[in-house]
Amino acid sequence: MDFFIQLFTDPVGFYNQHELLIAQIGINAILAISIFVTFYSGQLTLANAGFMAIGAYTTVIMSLYLPTPLPVDMLVGALLAAAIGFLVGLPVLRLRGVFLAIATIGFVEALRLGVILNLPITGEGQGLKNPSADPLGGIVPILISVPILTYLVWRLTHTRLGQAWAAIREDELAASSNGINVPAYKMVAFVISALVAGYAGALETHINFFVDPTEYSVTRTIQILTFAVVGGTTNVIGPIVGAVFLTALPEIVRQFAAYRDVVNGIILILVIIFRPQGIVGRGGLAIIAPRWWTRWRTRERAAAAH
Amino acid sequence: MTQQVLNAIFIGSIYALFAVGYTLVFGVLDVLNLAHSAVFMLGAVVTYSLVALHGMPFLPAAVIAILVCGLLGLLIEFVALRPLRRRNAPPISALISTIGLALIFVAIVEQATSGSLFSWLWQDGANSVRFPTGTVPNPTFHVAGLTIEGTKLGILVISVVLMLVLGYVMRFTQVGRALRAVAENRRAATLLGINVDRIFASTLFVSSALGGLAGLLFGLALSDISPYIGRDQVELKGLAVIVLGGMGSIPGAVLGGYLLGLIEVFAFVRFGSNIEAGVAFAALFLVLVLRPQGLFGARLRERL
Amino acid sequence: MRTVARGIAIALAVALAACGGASSTGTNSSNSYQGKTIQLGAILSITGAGGVYGPSSQKGMDLAVEKINGSGGVNGAKISLDTKDDASDKAQSAQVAQTLIQQGQLLALLGPTLSNSAVAVHPLAESFKIPILAVSTTGIHIVPDCNYPKTDPCKYVFRDSLGEETAIPTNIKVYSEAKHPKTGVLMVANDDKFSSDGGKIVQNTVGSYGIQLLDTVQFSKTTADFATPVTKAVQKKPDVIFITSLGGIPAKIMIEARKQGFTGQFLGGNGFNTAVVSKQAGDAGKGAESGSAWYINNTFASNAGFVQAYRAKYSADPDQFAAQGYAAILILADAAKRANLTFSDTPGDRTKLRDAMESVNIDTPLGRFQFTSNHDVKQTIWVIQMDGNGGFTLVKSVTPS
Repeated sequence: MDFFIQLFTDPVGFYNQHELLIAQIGINAILAISIFVTFYSGQLTLANAGFMAIGAYTTVIMSLYLPTPLPVDMLVGALLAAAIGFLVGLPVLRLRGVFLAIATIGFVEALRLGVILNLPITGEGQGLKNPSADPLGGIVPILISVPILTYLVWRLTHTRLGQAWAAIREDELAASSNGINVPAYKMVAFVISALVAGYAGALETHINFFVDPTEYSVTRTIQILTFAVVGGTTNVIGPIVGAVFLTALPEIVRQFAAYRDVVNGIILILVIIFRPQGIVGRGGLAIIAPRWWTRWRTRERAAAAH
Repeated sequence: MTQQVLNAIFIGSIYALFAVGYTLVFGVLDVLNLAHSAVFMLGAVVTYSLVALHGMPFLPAAVIAILVCGLLGLLIEFVALRPLRRRNAPPISALISTIGLALIFVAIVEQATSGSLFSWLWQDGANSVRFPTGTVPNPTFHVAGLTIEGTKLGILVISVVLMLVLGYVMRFTQVGRALRAVAENRRAATLLGINVDRIFASTLFVSSALGGLAGLLFGLALSDISPYIGRDQVELKGLAVIVLGGMGSIPGAVLGGYLLGLIEVFAFVRFGSNIEAGVAFAALFLVLVLRPQGLFGARLRERL
Repeated sequence: MRTVARGIAIALAVALAACGGASSTGTNSSNSYQGKTIQLGAILSITGAGGVYGPSSQKGMDLAVEKINGSGGVNGAKISLDTKDDASDKAQSAQVAQTLIQQGQLLALLGPTLSNSAVAVHPLAESFKIPILAVSTTGIHIVPDCNYPKTDPCKYVFRDSLGEETAIPTNIKVYSEAKHPKTGVLMVANDDKFSSDGGKIVQNTVGSYGIQLLDTVQFSKTTADFATPVTKAVQKKPDVIFITSLGGIPAKIMIEARKQGFTGQFLGGNGFNTAVVSKQAGDAGKGAESGSAWYINNTFASNAGFVQAYRAKYSADPDQFAAQGYAAILILADAAKRANLTFSDTPGDRTKLRDAMESVNIDTPLGRFQFTSNHDVKQTIWVIQMDGNGGFTLVKSVTPS
């Protein structure tokens, strides 16, 4: 309760005491934007933690060994994540539903356990310390990035690209027969998602001092997924609200700290059962209840009735 | 090397036993039950609790634990799956509701210490424990330079027998036929007068009982019982196994389990552990991309 | 009636502990802090993977606070300790630390539990110029180079937990001088910072004692069956198997190696030093040696009193983490006593406290305790071995040079 009382009575003090929490909320909001893009185009991909790792490690390795300025390092990190996203997307995006989700989990774990743990340049299991970390300075670029990215993605969903994504999400077959190049549009969504996740990873090293492989496991991706599910994915605001709510939750329920995961679990189940469109969403949650699915089930039931 | 092959076969049978329950639910209900690993963990924890905290002999404790896990399966069905099915939510929502349950199960055990709310179930928090020495006799045989452990041998036998029984049930009994009918075509099964909801509930019961059994055997043979044995040791590898074998295929899950055991051990011996940990996931990735129906070629819809 | 008896027991124990504990050097004012409160904050992993250690540290700290406040406080001032859980998560650890620091009244921090979190929290404390005392972190680059790879020493970071850099080499030295092993195999978890740091230390140490490292077997901490890596190690027929890993893993390796017929010695570091590991290893662990910061059966007064008070309060045996947590409060109390605190100028008080910490020289359950010039532990190292029944026996004590 103190948390809210201070938030309203002493916002400056609140900000000073919770800068890092706010920064983490910002990072998680960016990650939520990243998963929103693929959700919006009707794909359940869980590779976000892997792309974060690429962005984060690239930034730290460049600041360790190259004289380039930090923004360049971060940009390269995000672009590399996007490039690898493209390569991974080529074979993977042909898959659908649960299969796509599992394949991307395979990518994350193979990257983490097979690659990062085995390269001397990534510090193997010991991780790398970020020499240019600045936790309290790092909050500024994060706070600037969140509204800009939110705006850009919101705009994007209202362009022809966004309409194509929505069409694919609602009914892939219909979209395809209407002349939409489905694989290409899916790929664009996947690459943008990778770019944003890589950028979030790069930003995060800034406040966390340190990268190590345990940070970028499937657990992390699942956490990002819950932002989207709890917030809702009908528009970009939903996942962000989910990220803010779930990241601040441990602070809010500190008195139940020990059973925090129980609270998390209950929230997930309640939301998915009673409010599948998420806290924010209006209609159905895009990927949880896409219209083509309901339509298909209705058709199936109609057929059964005959 | 021979010793390493033995090691591979043993760990393979644990993977297989875990994966059979996992794949059964996917085959029949078309959902990925991510709470399966938490039930696996509870199988070990409940048995341990009955033996070490309540002084029960091992065998009855194991039977009770398996039944408890079966009941947890029903809990999963009624809390996390049935409400979603009622409103025709696609399989992905079940993924999330079962993650929710898994979080709850693990957190309850992790937070249980002596004097806490759940101290009757578990008192060691995040620690790892093992059954008291002598819970089951474990003679170790040394044959031709090989070490063969009694418990591991027993587990191998139990897994093989159980999987044969399951195979028999699926092929040749009425229940098995009903199950396969539902998996094949839910709608047609309903028309045939099969009570689909009851089939789903019994599938969850059997699958979770198997998961619990796998967990308690794991805890027994590997001297490792902790809140994390499901999540850290078998959850994602089990996923790799059912993908290798073809999602929803029981024989596939069995073969996939042994195959993963062998792949891991050979990768370890040949390249060192640096590679081993990533191998399962690289294999998973490649199989899904190149051969999404699994390595053993069962056509996707024809499974179990 | 029972509570009264218990109360008396605690009071007696506390009195006993007080005899040996916290005898400070150079006390300069007796009751000048009367009515004031010395506010401390602790960041511990109570939940999550670090939940194995954090609760012990917390119990040790709470006991020490109770003891000091019950016997007149610090020059009359009470200690208040605000403990926050970081859920074993690096980001939350830093967030909690920041909140504690910025609330403005805390004189010093304790923790965090895990080395991974320390990497995020310590530089933060350093930049805010608030003393922070690590109570369980044993990795490398904790003190004095908390800003590693930058090498300038961190002035506000201390630790009272024995680093693996000291514990492992001491252990290897003691065993080598007694038994002269020729060969060894290192078994190390490669996906965990604590373990891989420990592995590096073993690799760098064995040479100086003429031990040939036949192989380094790396494994993942999520390995289900340790038969495979253990087979690889045992087949080399080493005299010694070094294990640097955490949680239940050392015990699982010992059990498996004994099953496979290994008859040699197990050596390790802090990963061996809890009763939980000894209990899990059981028979298989008998004789396994490690360098420890603390030994439960030490009879000197400051330890005996601590153990007795701990048992009276919690009806359980303390472990190394509880002892280090308890010692940490004694250390801060002693420093506060000598620091001439103003209780009005917090930044000034923090620096004064820091200066006083550098000259701490007191009796703790760990033994006589001082900081080195690098703010690291300077104490006797207790080389202990598992007794096969969930406990430990002392092999040798090594006093620092």
